[in-house]
Amino acid sequence: MTERASIGTPAPTDWRDAAHQRRMAKRYGAERRFRWLGLGAVLMSAGFLVVLLVSMLSAGVSGFVQTQIALPIDFAHSRLTIDPAKLRGPGADLALAAADLGGATDAAAIAAYGPEGDALLSDGAWTRVRDQLKADPSLLHRRATVWVPAADRIDIAAKREGAPADEAIVAKLNAAHALKTSFNSFFLTSSDSTDPTMVGIWGALKGSLLTMFVTLLIAFPVGVLSALYLEEYAPHNRWTDLIEVSINNLAAVPSIIFGLLGLAVFLNTFHLQRSAAIVGGLTLALMTMPVIVIASRNAIKAVPPSIRDAAFGIGASPVQVVFHHVLPLAMPGILTGTIIGMARALGETAPLLMIGMRAFITAPPGGLRDPATVLPVQIFLWSDQVNRGFVEKTSAAILVLLVFLLAMNGVAIYLRNRFETRW
Amino acid sequence: MHRMIAITAASMLAAVLGGCTDQAGGGGAGSRDQIKVVGSSTVFPFTTIVAEQFVEKTPGVKSPVIESTGTGGGMKLFCGGVGAAHPDIEDASRRIKSSEYATCKANGVGDILEVQVGLDGIAFAEAKNGPGMQLTTTDLFKAMAATIDGKPNTAKTWQDVNPALPTTPIQIYGPPATSGTRDALAELILARGCEALMPDLADLREKNPADFAQKCTRIREDGAYIDAGENDNLIVQKLQSNANAIGIFGYSYLEENKDKLNGISVNGTEPTYETISQNRYPGSRPLYLYVKKAHLGAIRGLREFLKLYVASWNPGGPLVAKGLIASPEDVRKKAASVVSWETPLDPKTLP
Repeated sequence: MTERASIGTPAPTDWRDAAHQRRMAKRYGAERRFRWLGLGAVLMSAGFLVVLLVSMLSAGVSGFVQTQIALPIDFAHSRLTIDPAKLRGPGADLALAAADLGGATDAAAIAAYGPEGDALLSDGAWTRVRDQLKADPSLLHRRATVWVPAADRIDIAAKREGAPADEAIVAKLNAAHALKTSFNSFFLTSSDSTDPTMVGIWGALKGSLLTMFVTLLIAFPVGVLSALYLEEYAPHNRWTDLIEVSINNLAAVPSIIFGLLGLAVFLNTFHLQRSAAIVGGLTLALMTMPVIVIASRNAIKAVPPSIRDAAFGIGASPVQVVFHHVLPLAMPGILTGTIIGMARALGETAPLLMIGMRAFITAPPGGLRDPATVLPVQIFLWSDQVNRGFVEKTSAAILVLLVFLLAMNGVAIYLRNRFETRW
Repeated sequence: MHRMIAITAASMLAAVLGGCTDQAGGGGAGSRDQIKVVGSSTVFPFTTIVAEQFVEKTPGVKSPVIESTGTGGGMKLFCGGVGAAHPDIEDASRRIKSSEYATCKANGVGDILEVQVGLDGIAFAEAKNGPGMQLTTTDLFKAMAATIDGKPNTAKTWQDVNPALPTTPIQIYGPPATSGTRDALAELILARGCEALMPDLADLREKNPADFAQKCTRIREDGAYIDAGENDNLIVQKLQSNANAIGIFGYSYLEENKDKLNGISVNGTEPTYETISQNRYPGSRPLYLYVKKAHLGAIRGLREFLKLYVASWNPGGPLVAKGLIASPEDVRKKAASVVSWETPLDPKTLP
């Protein structure tokens, strides 16, 4: 009997017992280790992020500034045959193209900086002279100093380490106050070029904007409506199960497959234009849609059934319940899913290579059907350029892509906070 | 408010889809006011330079669209047919094959102009502090081939290949199988080395090209040859950090990185501008443009674009400044006359 009693009612815990103390120390130890591990994981990922940002910033910031050389040009005594009256009319471009501005720019450089003077300037320096003349035709009658971009080897020598001969030239120019480093606004407003001193990111940025516009326009409504139908209306049977599995599978398909699909459907069957933003947008929409459907279904599922019951209870029709109550409440989750999908689409290169959005184009696209390229493809193209001046431009383009991504995420967070309801 | 969002979204969707369908109607035929170029990644940088100057010198013209698809991929698009939906110019780092010409003919492309733009060289290079290698095409074949005389290649160090060479391990960074540079490597270096080593295989090249490729131009996959992807700048970086490795890329990369790399002489000839332009360096190859004659009148600016190309490829011209090697004068004259007289390519001369 006594034995049975001792089994049934255990002795009260002895807090000072050595075995008990050991067990407690083990438990606290496990707790501490887990906390340190978690903290370590967070620090490690933050460290990677910092390394990435620092390396991009240190390599890329110099891509936003440009070394310029002062070029004194005596327009009045140069042999330019431009009628100043024509520069004010619509034929200005034609008149400027007919004049040998390149020759005049080289001659001015040789006059100012000796026989090798024209090699100090970027090959596209004359286009700045042209733009200046267009902006102010009265320059034709006088002497003026135009700041033009330096050749890439001078640019590299001025910013970092260049060849000794170039460093000497930079020192000489600096002494004469003929060299300045200024913000390269041209980088943000022009398009691709073969000369790193003349390239710009605007063409690719606009291509990305147009492509994302098409993607959002197709993927968002189609994705959200499919999710609403599947969650709120569709009966649960074998067919809807099949559709659900297919959508989950689609979300995991590698992006290059969507590129092949886009090539086969949009280019070969519908004969849309190669390299156009609309084809890129449609292809990326196919890729983004399953992600939006999955995120939206989860957000819709998370809306409490009591909300629906209450709405039905006061006589709302199913459509009213969905559009007045369920959809607004699910919106924050839907938007988060959409932004994740769009961010992935923004960084996507592989499917766009298949449909020809990797072309060299010197003008920004004018519309959805014009040939375009996008930011990640532009980064890819620049990284493979022979000329060393493109290294900093590649990093600068990555920075532009990161800022674009941050802006998109910022909009998502703003919208989410606006729609968010807590109960 | 929700209704308004829904209506706007729906109408925008309709607008985009509407745009698609009328595009579908107009995409296949008709005229285009923009030049389209596809093809080799080796010719791509030169065509982009000409395109850029073309836009700057011709006000109001639309910027040409140049896509780097590789020579083979470009030929498929180029030979797809005539009309606005198909490219006007093909950049090629080798001559068009008679099979490709036949496809073009079958799809109604008609006469094609063949214009030799200039030359390119496959350069072998090592870091400035490298051992200063001097190789022959036979050495390179023995170091890179997958099989030698039917037996797997077991050479681990350069000394295994040729007793006169150093004992450093064989490490070669080169282009992947999809690259035109790799085709040229196979044809210009490996095939020559193979034939020099085994003269009896020379007939096989004509009789059974597939068997010849298997025996002579297949590259080993046991780690001595390192596929560095399509990014030639990566090879330059790898060479700088590894003095014993050698790299293979287009000559323009060697020219641009002269302060970091040394060219490796092959068969006693250094890769320099002179040796490649005189066709003395074994790794030199011609670059071409193929142009559809039917498009010359139909596509605005195409004739002017070609004329600008002709004016740019001379020694001292803008293309040479960016790494192209000018062809000998008689070849340049012939190419210029093809452009000005619009002489079509004679398919009988094709290999």
